[in-house]
Amino acid sequence: MGSLTEYQVVGRHIPTEHEPTPKIYRMRIFAVNDVVAKSRFWYFLRKLKKVKKANGEIIGVNVIHEKKPLKVKNFGIWIRYDSRSGTHNMYKEFRELSRADAVKSLYQDMAARHRARFRSIHILRVVEIAKAEEVRRPYIKQLLQPKLRFPLPHRVTKARSTFVAHRPVTF
Amino acid sequence: MARSKELVHGVGRLSRSQVFARRALYKGQKKGETPKAAEPAPTKEVTVGGEKNGGKRLVPTSKASRFYPAEDVPQPKKSRKTANPTKLRSSITPGTVLILLAGRFRGKRVVFVKQLESGLLLVTGPFKVNGVPLRRVNQAYVIATSTKVDLGDYKVDEKFTDAYFAKGAKKAARSAEEEFFSEGKPKEKEAFPESKSADQKEIDKAILASIKKTEHLAKYLKASWGLSKGEYPHQLSF
Amino acid sequence: MSTQESNFQRFVEVGRVVLLKAGPHSGHIAVIAEIIDHNRAIVDGPTTGVPRQSFPYRHLTLTPLKVKALPRNAGSGTVKKYVEKEEIVAKWDSSSWAKKRAAVEKRRTLNDFERFQVMIHKKGRRDRVRKLLKSSKA
Repeated sequence: MGSLTEYQVVGRHIPTEHEPTPKIYRMRIFAVNDVVAKSRFWYFLRKLKKVKKANGEIIGVNVIHEKKPLKVKNFGIWIRYDSRSGTHNMYKEFRELSRADAVKSLYQDMAARHRARFRSIHILRVVEIAKAEEVRRPYIKQLLQPKLRFPLPHRVTKARSTFVAHRPVTF
Repeated sequence: MARSKELVHGVGRLSRSQVFARRALYKGQKKGETPKAAEPAPTKEVTVGGEKNGGKRLVPTSKASRFYPAEDVPQPKKSRKTANPTKLRSSITPGTVLILLAGRFRGKRVVFVKQLESGLLLVTGPFKVNGVPLRRVNQAYVIATSTKVDLGDYKVDEKFTDAYFAKGAKKAARSAEEEFFSEGKPKEKEAFPESKSADQKEIDKAILASIKKTEHLAKYLKASWGLSKGEYPHQLSF
Repeated sequence: MSTQESNFQRFVEVGRVVLLKAGPHSGHIAVIAEIIDHNRAIVDGPTTGVPRQSFPYRHLTLTPLKVKALPRNAGSGTVKKYVEKEEIVAKWDSSSWAKKRAAVEKRRTLNDFERFQVMIHKKGRRDRVRKLLKSSKA
């Protein structure tokens, strides 16, 4: 899975005699490309409304760009995830530069901790946490201290040759 | 062509003849104006002996063969390709110091003089500095350095062509007997032609004068080049 | 955390001057403007040609230099002002680390003739040292 992009997908039911002006639905979807984005749109719409790809149409797909891609933000993400034994809701926090990056690292985190695949995770909500007090998770809180500093221990410097007489000094 | 806008990749809107007409290519067409060499007459008159033969007869100039060839002889395809003249590497200009990589003088640093008709490079040591004579080398077997010897407006003599370096025709083979007895003896050395050594001196004079102006340059040309441990030619800059 | 004594001399912190070790700006110095997490920081080098970007600690080295009192998450303009005020680039260039790097870089870009000249000069130096040593011993 490459890097994710945030898409806005807009679609509706095809107009019929019975309903000449069907309701328009809009979704923000994180996907690797617009093909996957459209597919995910139909997947979710099918679950929520009585519209499917066979009787619906996509009106537009747009890329949503990050407004400030060089500002570090804290994101809270609500997900629904199917584990091997049941379905769970979860809330996780991430410190990233963009919404798409945060979702990307969410998928990585879920894969690492729970062996969860892309198909078994639904992103419910991605919210930027504006205030530092509202951060709930300690692993993000520790990065918000006002005078944060930490060393980089155990650094292996590159040896000139593969075979050297002395072991590297790592501190 | 702008006139023939592409419909899809590789397919133009106009046909070849339409493009020909629109671009008015007929204006530049060559007309067969040069008169062809007069064809030899197909027959000629020959006087024939014998009373009843009428005295004269028309005979074809070139007699047709009496036989058809038993086997088809394959005709080689005519190629219209011609070899392009060898390009000189842009890093090589007259006066560039080159490093020879092959042949008897491999590892020597020499001065480039000019490119010959055949594409080979004319180089010289100079002979007095490092013992490399006026010599032709292929540019593939050469590293061009960024060091230049300033040749000023020195004009290289026109006589230095590929023919100048060609070997003279071999003398008549010695008799078998003489050859038999000369086995084991060292061969007589031919004296180096006087004119060639004079030419060498003539060219080197100008080069030596400008080499002297730069410190260490003569020493540099005298030293031979090589790679030591941990040195890789693709990582060095010359 | 900052009140505690530490055996370490260099820290990842806002204002720390770092040397980039990879990427198109490898070999340039930049300043940490904001810490993202344990693996990455936002570095910025408005005076050294490094655009503001996220950079992993794996591909940078911490230097002893630090821009003091740089506010957290300062913009490029502010970083530039502080770096120029404290003459970070001049301090870096005068450090022996930077000088050694420059010397290595210089040696690497020498052409064939210049390498030969270096060899001649080194030979000359060796000769003089040897002669002096011999005369002082006698």
